[in-house]
Amino acid sequence: MIWLTWRQSHLKAASAAVVLAAFAVLLAVTGPHLASLYAGSKIGSCQGSDCGGPADDFLQQLYGSSLSGASSVDGTGTYWLLYLLGIVIILMAPAVIGIFWGAPLIAGELEAGTHYLAWNQSITRTRWLAVKLTLTGLAAMGVTETLSLMQAWWATPISRAVGRGGCCSPIAMNQFSPLVFATHGITPLGYAVFAFALGVTAGVLVRRAVPAMALTLAVFAVLQVVMPLWVRPHLFPPDHTITTLSSFAAINVPIERGTLTVIPDGFDSQPEGWVLSSGAVNTSGKPVSAVPAACMQVMQSGKASHPALLDCLDSHGIGIAVTYQPASRYWAFQWTETAIYVAFALALVGYCFWRIRRRLS
Amino acid sequence: MTAVIETEGLGKRYRRLWALSDCTLSIPAGFVVGLVGPNGAGKTTLLNLATGMLAPTAGTIEVLGGRPAAGPAQLARVGYLAQHAPVYAGLSVADHLRLGAHLNPGWDAETARSRIERLDLSLGQKAGTLSGGQCAQLALTLAVAKRPEVLILDEPVSSLDPLARREFLQDLMEAVAEDGLSVVLSSHLISDLERVCDYLIVLVASRVLVAGPVEELLATHHLLSGPRRDPATLPAGQHVISASHTDRQTTLLVRTSDEILDPAWTAAEVGLEDLVLAYMNQAAGRGRHNHHLEVRT
Repeated sequence: MIWLTWRQSHLKAASAAVVLAAFAVLLAVTGPHLASLYAGSKIGSCQGSDCGGPADDFLQQLYGSSLSGASSVDGTGTYWLLYLLGIVIILMAPAVIGIFWGAPLIAGELEAGTHYLAWNQSITRTRWLAVKLTLTGLAAMGVTETLSLMQAWWATPISRAVGRGGCCSPIAMNQFSPLVFATHGITPLGYAVFAFALGVTAGVLVRRAVPAMALTLAVFAVLQVVMPLWVRPHLFPPDHTITTLSSFAAINVPIERGTLTVIPDGFDSQPEGWVLSSGAVNTSGKPVSAVPAACMQVMQSGKASHPALLDCLDSHGIGIAVTYQPASRYWAFQWTETAIYVAFALALVGYCFWRIRRRLS
Repeated sequence: MTAVIETEGLGKRYRRLWALSDCTLSIPAGFVVGLVGPNGAGKTTLLNLATGMLAPTAGTIEVLGGRPAAGPAQLARVGYLAQHAPVYAGLSVADHLRLGAHLNPGWDAETARSRIERLDLSLGQKAGTLSGGQCAQLALTLAVAKRPEVLILDEPVSSLDPLARREFLQDLMEAVAEDGLSVVLSSHLISDLERVCDYLIVLVASRVLVAGPVEELLATHHLLSGPRRDPATLPAGQHVISASHTDRQTTLLVRTSDEILDPAWTAAEVGLEDLVLAYMNQAAGRGRHNHHLEVRT
């Protein structure tokens, strides 16, 4: 059965190997230069809050322009494109596997009628399915996790800079941001095994490969949006704290309307934490949306700088209430989300076994 | 000796439609069994139940004394050539033989290779490029070389031209003669089966109408002709399968295990094809009658 599974899927295995090799070459060629740029920055030697500046500079440089105004002439500005490309490939890998490996695995046999041939050899359907699922499922997990690990190695300088407080460029995504969380750690394993099981189940249900592929894509895409937006933030009860205005790297105070807007990013005391929401509050903890009249005058006097406004707000007892997940929960989130996807996958696989043993012709 | 196929009140329903109902059979070993009936009669359903591809809705079925597809041992005892002879289009002939060798502990590589050589199939050719007849031969090779005790074939010749039909059946009979295995094969054409079968099952509209060794069927069915007469006045024990009347004459096909004693009748032997057609007509007539009643109620 192992031989037959291999014989039926060696073209798919070969194409996966080509993708892995191409990705590895791309990263191996560009990785050392990225690492040398990092070594040339001062992030490695800085202490505490001094790191924010060099980290920002480094990330801006990768984005294509440094804060000091020098434009990149050596192509360093393409690194953020490579970074995004890697993320997109890792995000798509489980979906592609579910669609092209999972959905046709059983549906292809049912469609061509070859299950009549396979199920009448001296081997039970249960064993036939077990071998097919185990080998292909392990390959799916292996491919996805290899992509993820290669990218994580390549992007180490970027994640370090973000961890040291680098902010304010599109590349500065912290470990909890949806694109980074879903492509690093062990979550890609969970997505791969789930998407594969989803494809197989869709094939068993629909019994035709192409509709099963479409169904797989639709369900997986919906879940990949629902999970980070509505489920992941609630996996653990968040922490709450009230902090000073200066703890935030970015606070926006539109002068004309006098409203306080807090951008929930770059929370200095938790650079690797996950800010779920934040808002201005007064000393009794009540939400405040209007800038006090005294501070408006500071602004309208024309002489006041941004820090002066913050000092004024501070002196009026206005702080920022932050709802967040601390950085220390990163692996708890990773394990929990992966476990959820693996549990879904096992349930789907269990259904496939039941259905193929009992119901199919 | 255990029966090849033994069923008791066997039925299979798809949603609300019974594809096979109340089927009770006991087919002894050592026969070449023809399963004949019109398209949609339930032949494929019965064979799929016998190979465990389907689970029964009602009743029981045992093949060689075991539950179909119960485990590797049971699977090894039954060879199945499904309808349309499915093969893996992307795999070569040699790959199919390797598949058979990997998945069947009793694989007879010698038989498989010599059959492929005799049939002039090239080992490297992809199965997707084979003709219908070649696919059937390849699938039959797989089914025979696993050395089953019973070989089940569903419409094996329906996609073949007349010459290929004859060759396929001849080849099948040679394989059977060598191994002495039991065979069950289905067809909607009695002419395909007449030459090779020594046991016949007629299945029409999901019901078994008649089943038995061909010799016995021929010995117990008589074509009677004589002066016009109401079939209801026949002696008990003579079952009318078909009746036709002219103004003065009546012709009946009757089934009876007794001798025909009435001197008014001229009794003649009946051919297998006429016998099967009479049963099919009888069922069709009954079907129309039922339909008529349903409309009126």
